[in-house]
Amino acid sequence: MADRGEGRGERFVPAQYQPPLPLDRLILKNGAVGAGDRMDLDVLIVGAGPAGLACAIELAQLAKRDNSDLNIGVLEKAEALGEHSLSGAVVNPRAFRELFPDVPAAELPFRGSVKHERVCLLTSRATIPLPTPPTMRNAGNYIASLCEVVRWLGARAEALGVNVFTGFPAASLIVDGQRVAGVRTAATGLDRDGQPLANYMAPNDLVAGVTALAEGTRGTLSQAWIQWQNVGAANPQIYALGVKEIWETKRPLDTIVHTLGWPLPTDAFGGSFMYPLEPNLVALGLVVGLDYRDAGLDVHALLQRMKQHPLFRQYLEGGEMVEWGAKTIPEGGYYSVPARRSGEGVVILGDSAGFVDVPSLKGIHYAMQSGMFAARTIFQALKANDPSAERLADYDRLVNESFIMKDLYRTRNMRLAFKDGFYVGGAKAAVMTATGGRIPGGKIAVESDAEVERRLTPGASPGITPDGKLTFSKVDGVFKSGNATRDTIPVHLVVGKDVPTDVAEFYAHLCPAGVYEVAQGTLRINAPNCVDCKATDVLGPRWTPREGGSGPKYKRM
Amino acid sequence: MSRVLAVLEQRDGALRKVSHEVVTGARRLADAFSNSTVDALVMAAGAVRGADAVGGFGADKVITLTNAAFGTYAPEGYARTIVDRVKAGGYDAVVFAASATGKDLAPRVAARLGRPLAQEVIDVAVESGAVIAIRPVYAGKALLKIKIAGSPAVLSLRPNVFTPVQRPKAGAAEAAAVDGSAGRVVVKQIKAAPAGTLDVAEAPIVVSGGRGLKEPANFKVLEELAAAFGGRAAVGASRAVVDAGWRPHADQVGQTGKTVSPTLYVAVGVSGAIQHLAGMRTSKVIVAINKDKDAPIFKVADYGIVGDLFEVVPKLTEEIKKLHG
Amino acid sequence: MKIAVCIKRVPDSETRVKIAPDGKSIDEAGVKFILNPYDEFAVEEALRRKEKAGAGEVVVIALGPAAAQETIRTALAMGADRGVLLQAERIPADGLQTATALAAELKAGGYDLILFGKMAIDDYNHQVGPMVAELLDLPCVTTVAHLEIETGKGTAEREIEGGVEVVEFPLPAVLTTDKGLNEPRYPALKGIMAAKKKPLEVKPTTIAAGGLDVVALMPPPERQAGKIVGEGAAAVAELVRLLREEAKVL
Repeated sequence: MADRGEGRGERFVPAQYQPPLPLDRLILKNGAVGAGDRMDLDVLIVGAGPAGLACAIELAQLAKRDNSDLNIGVLEKAEALGEHSLSGAVVNPRAFRELFPDVPAAELPFRGSVKHERVCLLTSRATIPLPTPPTMRNAGNYIASLCEVVRWLGARAEALGVNVFTGFPAASLIVDGQRVAGVRTAATGLDRDGQPLANYMAPNDLVAGVTALAEGTRGTLSQAWIQWQNVGAANPQIYALGVKEIWETKRPLDTIVHTLGWPLPTDAFGGSFMYPLEPNLVALGLVVGLDYRDAGLDVHALLQRMKQHPLFRQYLEGGEMVEWGAKTIPEGGYYSVPARRSGEGVVILGDSAGFVDVPSLKGIHYAMQSGMFAARTIFQALKANDPSAERLADYDRLVNESFIMKDLYRTRNMRLAFKDGFYVGGAKAAVMTATGGRIPGGKIAVESDAEVERRLTPGASPGITPDGKLTFSKVDGVFKSGNATRDTIPVHLVVGKDVPTDVAEFYAHLCPAGVYEVAQGTLRINAPNCVDCKATDVLGPRWTPREGGSGPKYKRM
Repeated sequence: MSRVLAVLEQRDGALRKVSHEVVTGARRLADAFSNSTVDALVMAAGAVRGADAVGGFGADKVITLTNAAFGTYAPEGYARTIVDRVKAGGYDAVVFAASATGKDLAPRVAARLGRPLAQEVIDVAVESGAVIAIRPVYAGKALLKIKIAGSPAVLSLRPNVFTPVQRPKAGAAEAAAVDGSAGRVVVKQIKAAPAGTLDVAEAPIVVSGGRGLKEPANFKVLEELAAAFGGRAAVGASRAVVDAGWRPHADQVGQTGKTVSPTLYVAVGVSGAIQHLAGMRTSKVIVAINKDKDAPIFKVADYGIVGDLFEVVPKLTEEIKKLHG
Repeated sequence: MKIAVCIKRVPDSETRVKIAPDGKSIDEAGVKFILNPYDEFAVEEALRRKEKAGAGEVVVIALGPAAAQETIRTALAMGADRGVLLQAERIPADGLQTATALAAELKAGGYDLILFGKMAIDDYNHQVGPMVAELLDLPCVTTVAHLEIETGKGTAEREIEGGVEVVEFPLPAVLTTDKGLNEPRYPALKGIMAAKKKPLEVKPTTIAAGGLDVVALMPPPERQAGKIVGEGAAAVAELVRLLREEAKVL
């Protein structure tokens, strides 16, 4: 590992040390050797999150009504449904109502309706109430655990005859010319050097008329396809990293809370959330845009600091942290959504397509709705025996004409305004809200997170000494994520060449799971710690799919 | 008057030490019944060395039942013999050790008697004439308290819990030959356990070392400690020393919570937080030996010794060897 | 070879144990249930024996609530041929009650081998297999870590303190399996699909009255704060004493 001598205080651009996506591994020709079994499906959905499962359910329902038979398969890399799902969450129920018109509200997988909400500006000691911005009003919405939502959706999908294969990550796209023919799954049972162990299982090829990529945030195959097909977007996608905990509390909470300000530095975008799943079961987290400037910023550490603020402390003191997790969120909004999310034999759903509205912190109902639109398009295309790009482009039309893109358009510049920092951004955002997005109009251009220059500002990001009661180390967090990944698993992260010490330390601060450590001047990679948040893929070593069942085992995140 | 039967174990004609614990536990149960006797029973091919000592642990009588086929464990023969004795003797409780043999034998006896079995019990009591047993469940994350109605109560006792207390008392001795075959299941031989195959992930005791060992050759010190535990301990290595090539991958003590589950974990020259320690905290015992009194491991360990591992570990090896005689 | 494997649906080993309001059982909210890991060795062994014999049937049987069908499907996905669920609201705490119900189902099956995992990772009872054997008057070997089968008989190896017991037994027999017997296969994609079509019979079952009652499920005793026993080699004797008498691990 190279050292540039006076590493401290020098600026660097993360992109310089990031290897490109390994397209030669991610895109394989149909018929390429190496697969064990081969399975033929009508529709293959990659990812059993809200988008993928809503797509599967809508497809199954359409087939049922049509008295036809569709062989639908959903691949999920987690060992069981929901184990890699993480969100706040406060859910807009409209997609549920459309997909399940006959299910009474009480039976939907929500924890409770939002009764009270607060937005506050924090300083290191004080809590200053703010009027709730119109984009954030949550009346009529429901507090939920995404894990529970996914398990509920999964049960319904399976009841409708959908084949859900958990523990099977999609590792590569299989293509026929320009057409996506399906995916190849990851192999299981390799040792650290890539040699097969006693329980080795070869990858499987799954081929289908249409493949729907619903991989969630920073989807690997989605990125690969977009790059391969040269699909542009007005802006590159940008991301935030959220670190979340669930606590059993002594003191009850009856309101959802969002905060801005402390402990974030003013040149970082983000805020916190605290939601009651039950009065004494509280979900809280901190979300920070990955375009922060200080190379020492550590979101997990910031969350630990944040919990010491009286606003949070009053609830958490004497309680117990029962879960911990992390995930990135696509934040680019309208201008970062790819020009098309469909092609020959393929559609892209949900977070993988960037359907997330940051100002309202909503993505789940957009994900589900996109899944439903895709299902309708796919169903028609298969019926007409025509899964061509032209036919599947209907999915794009449906999304563009829907509330998904209308909502994203209205807030298209809000997050981007914050690239100018908290105060200027805040002012701009206020103006945008007041004018329904018309002022300032036009697109705010942004660069990708990896292109944003970083610098270590000593003292800007003080570390924390975890006390094991209120604050915890990354290692304790990873344990509470339920991560029990096999230690001898091959390393799934692709590191750039000659990473200098200061960049390595940047990685160490970046990763909430402690995958990267700088020890004796070398970058040490604790790959089994990885909880698949994808922050590394955005700013550091590239993330690639690994053995099924690896990673976290979230229960109620 | 209540009667409790303690089933002892012998190997190669000598009483196994765990039998002292069984008698101790049986005595505790008998005392809870009040006005009760403890009979100790051992099956063998001939006289059993050490059987006469159990009076000192609380047995009123030691009964040796001999049969040519009983030299080694004969599951069906033993079960049949015990059941006959229990029925003839009108015992209120039958107590086994939760050893490999005991856990195999106790269910057979219980089923034959049509009685439930409380396996691996850590505490016993009597309430309103019924036996109350406490046993660990969910890998020790909880304790289950159960009540056994009716007679006899059949229990097996977890080893290392009913610490034998010796009294200056002798019990009566009785011996008798019993008829019958060993049964359909025959123990042909007892082989030595294959050396060095104890998996770090499985071992009940793990002795783990880190960079504090200074060089690969120094792991010998840990190997000697592990050996002193008599085949129940494996040597683990921190990720750092495995990455440095000092120890094979198979020895790596896991980063993630799953891979280590010992009852006793001795961390030697390992300083930092290791994820799996968070998982072990609920049910296992962690000992740390480190020369830095501020090493984070001491926060996680149940017991610690601050000192030079090259002095402490050999002394520990010596003491453990004494214990295991 | 006709082989029956008795399996159990248990909470995942990483489950955080929370005691239910009744004070006698765990709170199942959010608990992930899996096939008892020791039963996986039993299922795998059954599959291998059948494959080796070239013909036969592997039947998986579980006693449990309706949700245990999912557990049976996992075994079917591994390759078992059919499943039977003896449906009961709760799995009894008394192993003899479980054994009685299973024995009734197994009796007329004509099985060459009946396999169990050595114990379940929730109750650690370590008894149902040998109890079933007694009720069916079949030979039984427990905690089998190595197995060889010839016509009409078998040899098993099992771990005991300080050694390995080599045991011979005739068939038909009941065996309980231990870790190390084999490396269980992961269900293949095709296996998962095929499992949905394999026969799974659900038989409502009443559990006979037993002699064992759960009084309470309690948290373990509070863990004492760690202590530094002393410095240097001089502290070793005290450490060993504490490990013996206080921690009770030696």
